[in-house]
Amino acid sequence: MVLFFGRLKELIGRAEDSIEITDASTVEQLFALYVARHSELAKYRSSLVASRNQEFAAWDTQLRSGDEVAFLPPVSGG
Amino acid sequence: MTTSLHDDIYQLVREPIDIAALARHVRAPEDGATVTFDGFVRNQSHNRPTLYLDYEAYESMALAKMREICAQLHEKYRIRRVAMVHRLGRLEIGETSVFIAVSAPHRAAAFDACRFAIDTLKRTVPIWKKENFEDGAVWADGELPPAPAATSRAKPAS
Repeated sequence: MVLFFGRLKELIGRAEDSIEITDASTVEQLFALYVARHSELAKYRSSLVASRNQEFAAWDTQLRSGDEVAFLPPVSGG
Repeated sequence: MTTSLHDDIYQLVREPIDIAALARHVRAPEDGATVTFDGFVRNQSHNRPTLYLDYEAYESMALAKMREICAQLHEKYRIRRVAMVHRLGRLEIGETSVFIAVSAPHRAAAFDACRFAIDTLKRTVPIWKKENFEDGAVWADGELPPAPAATSRAKPAS
């Protein structure tokens, strides 16, 4: 499962995508998949962070089937 | 309502926050101080009049991060109990969006812990605010949470 929030959600046009994450792909490769579908996403690459299973994750994090990945714009709670 | 080992409260709500009840919850007879932070909706942003705000969260992760902050507070400061509540959905000018209460036997720890709590929440908890103006809406500039630059995995031997 892949989740999008804030301006990314609006750009993608949906909050979640139940894409099948296959073993041995990384967060970076997953993001590239969405950039291929929505080229405007590319400019957000340097101003977002990713999470895997509710923990902040590095871009080279290996993904496994069943993982929940989210792409998070800068947070602005408070 | 979610409570922890220390009887802390950390919560995301969609209705007005009952700040008096939270301030009462953290007090214990052995304490001498409660420090509270009440964050509420400002009527302008960069001199543009704000109509209202919309907050959204990655709720499961936000609650996990709020729980981590509470645990950190108990490790770092001599405090009794924490209440940390953030509201989601549409908020009008003057309404409380976030409320934090920290009780402690002595005031210094309560002040320090409350400051650390709101600063860390604003930097690390996945919550987003959309500002609505007369002529449109924008996602507020935020802070990029610190994430690991790369995994520490050793390269597989070839």
